Amino acid sequence: MSANTAAKTVAATTAAADASDLTGPIAAFGASAAITIVFNTVLAWVKDAYEPLNSFMASLTGHHWRTHGLIDVVVFFALGYLFMSYKFRISGVRLAALLAAASVVAGGGLALWFVLT
Amino acid sequence: MSDVILFAHPTFGVLGILASVWVFVEALNASEANRSRLRLAAFVVAGCIVLAAVFGGYWYTVFYGHEKAIILKGPWPWAHNFVMETKEHLFFIPLILALYLPIAAAANLAKNGGARAVVLVVSAFIVLNGLAIEGAGAIINYGVKVAFVHTGVQGAE
Repeated sequence: MSANTAAKTVAATTAAADASDLTGPIAAFGASAAITIVFNTVLAWVKDAYEPLNSFMASLTGHHWRTHGLIDVVVFFALGYLFMSYKFRISGVRLAALLAAASVVAGGGLALWFVLT
Repeated sequence: MSDVILFAHPTFGVLGILASVWVFVEALNASEANRSRLRLAAFVVAGCIVLAAVFGGYWYTVFYGHEKAIILKGPWPWAHNFVMETKEHLFFIPLILALYLPIAAAANLAKNGGARAVVLVVSAFIVLNGLAIEGAGAIINYGVKVAFVHTGVQGAE
């Protein structure tokens, strides 16, 4: 294989990888959604285990659930914009797997916590 | 009025689930022809799930306390301790996914297989979570009913 052919092959492979990679809002907010979903479960665990945090969250909006939801939404958008500013890049299949895993682990984690406590 | 709010919550939840199925099917058949329809469906999902959150959240934080007390006195206290506690936090998963769906659906799914996989997964998990949450709502409702039936709470008749 000549150097020219090898260079063309590498360029074609790189272009294919670039085409399958996601960038911009879909990548940034996708990663943010996966993190926020797991964060939601961790916050539920912590506030359920530590009553002062639950009371503090309730004092902010009148109910801990409202505060919890608002924090989740703020974290989702803040992380999304942060990842966008860093030009976050991820393959579509990997992001889909990440979102699926986050949903399953976070949902299962919530159910398990409230079964055990 | 509280009953209207209570019924609006699962109604918008079901509409959000149906719209997510719509998005899933459109994504499976993604082409230039259905691109704008798919994006519209994604916004319908986000709108319905946000409205389900607003109505459900208002009812839960303002009116649910009375039902909680009844459930805890009845034979199914786990309808609150496990089912409602899980449901109220699980709900945020489809909410976040629904807020993300219009962002993901903005990509050209006909040309971008990765974006298509993301939209398929996100819409599928909104449906699965939504169905679980609808079922949980039915169990919580039944938790109140069995409390009335088995303990004879005053006014239940």
